Amino acid sequence: MTMHEEWTDKLSEYLDGELPDAERRQVTAHLETCEDCSRILEELREVVAAANAAPPVEPSRDLWAGIAERIASPEGARPVVLSGPWRRFSFSLPQLAAASVLLAMVSGWAAIRFMPREVSRPPDVAVAPPPAQTGEVVLTAFSSNDAGYDAAVADLERTLLEQRARLDPETIKVVEDNLAIIDRAVSDARQALDEDPGNGYLSDYLSETRRRKLDLLRRATSLAEDLN
Amino acid sequence: MATVAVTLNADRRIATGVDSDVALAAQGDASAFERLYRAHVAKIHSLARRMLSPNEADEVTQDIFVRTWQKLGQFRGDAAFSTWLHRLAVNVIIERRRTYAVQRERISDDETALEQMAVAPARIDLAVDFEHAIEHLPAGAREILVLHDVEGYKHREIATLLDITSGTSKRQLHRARMLMRRQLGAA
Repeated sequence: MTMHEEWTDKLSEYLDGELPDAERRQVTAHLETCEDCSRILEELREVVAAANAAPPVEPSRDLWAGIAERIASPEGARPVVLSGPWRRFSFSLPQLAAASVLLAMVSGWAAIRFMPREVSRPPDVAVAPPPAQTGEVVLTAFSSNDAGYDAAVADLERTLLEQRARLDPETIKVVEDNLAIIDRAVSDARQALDEDPGNGYLSDYLSETRRRKLDLLRRATSLAEDLN
Repeated sequence: MATVAVTLNADRRIATGVDSDVALAAQGDASAFERLYRAHVAKIHSLARRMLSPNEADEVTQDIFVRTWQKLGQFRGDAAFSTWLHRLAVNVIIERRRTYAVQRERISDDETALEQMAVAPARIDLAVDFEHAIEHLPAGAREILVLHDVEGYKHREIATLLDITSGTSKRQLHRARMLMRRQLGAA
C-alpha cells in the first residue's frame, strides 16, 4: 500500500463522518494540500449521491400472476398462529412437533414426581422380540432386558448419523433436542422405577417414552432417506 | 377542536389505506395482498436486482411476496409495513446468496476484482448509468453498497445481517465506491 492509498482508504469513512476526531483532523489537513485526494473525495461524494437518489424501478413484466398462483397453492399455507386474548405466537411444524413431545414428557415427569406411590402392581415384562427379517420392534411394556429394542435404537442412531448431512440444520436440531428430552425422561422414569419397581404407571410411561424415541428415530431416518 | 377533528380524519384516512390492506391480507384476502404487492413491488424488485442480478430479480421478487404472504400473520405493526417487508426482503435475498454459496467469496478482501474493474470497461469514457455500473461490481461489494448507500443501513446492521464485522463492511463499502467511481467514468 502506498502512502497515497493510506489516505484514500480513509476517504469513505471521512465522507460518512465515521473517522475518530484525530484521524478526521489529519485527513482534513491532508486534503488541503492534496489535489488527488480532494478530487477522489468529490467523486466518491458523487457516487454516494447517485446511490441515494437511485429510484425504484418497476419490473419489466407483471409478476403478480405467478405470486397469486403460488399463494393459492399449498405453498401459500401459513404456519399455525395462536391468537386471541393471548399475545400472538407462531410456530413452525417442527417446533410444534417438538412442543408436543415436550408436553408429553413434562406431563409424564410431573406424574412421576407427584403421583402417590401406594399404587403398585407387578411390572409387565415383555417387549415382543424383534422380527428377525425386518428389525421391527413392538413394545408392549417396559422390560429392563430388551436387547431387541436397544439394538433397534442403536441401528437407527447409526443410520441417522450416516444420513445426517442430508437433513437441514434446523431439522437436525429439532430431532436432537427431542431425543435429549426423551432420554432425560427415560432416565427419570428408570430412576423412579428403581425406587418403586411395582409401579404400573411408571412402567407404562417408560415403555411409551421409549416407543416415542424409536418412532422419532424412524421418522428422522426415513426423512433423510426420502431426501436421498 | 378543529385541529383534533383534522387529526382524527387524517388517522382514519391512514387506517383505511395500507393498514387495512395489511389486516385484510393477513386474514387471507388475496385482493388486498395484490394491492400491497402493487404498492411495493418496484422497491422490492429494485432491491433484488441491485443486490443479486437482473436475471434473478423476477424470481426472487416472487419468492419475497410469497414469503410475505406466509408470514403476514406475524406482522404486529411494531414497525411500518414497508419497513417490515423490506427487512423480510433483505433476509430472503441474503438467504438466497448463501444457498448459492456466493457468501464465501463475498467476504474476500481480494484486490483482483478491483484491478479487473480498473481495466475492464471499454466504456470508461461513456456515461454509464448507476444501474449498469452496479451490475459490474463484485457480489460482496455490490451487496454492501446497496445496503448502505441505497437502502440506508448502518455498518453495524449490515454486519449483523451478513454475519461479518463492521470493519469488513466498511472496507467493502469503500472498495465498492472506488469501483463505482471508475465505472461511472469519474476516474
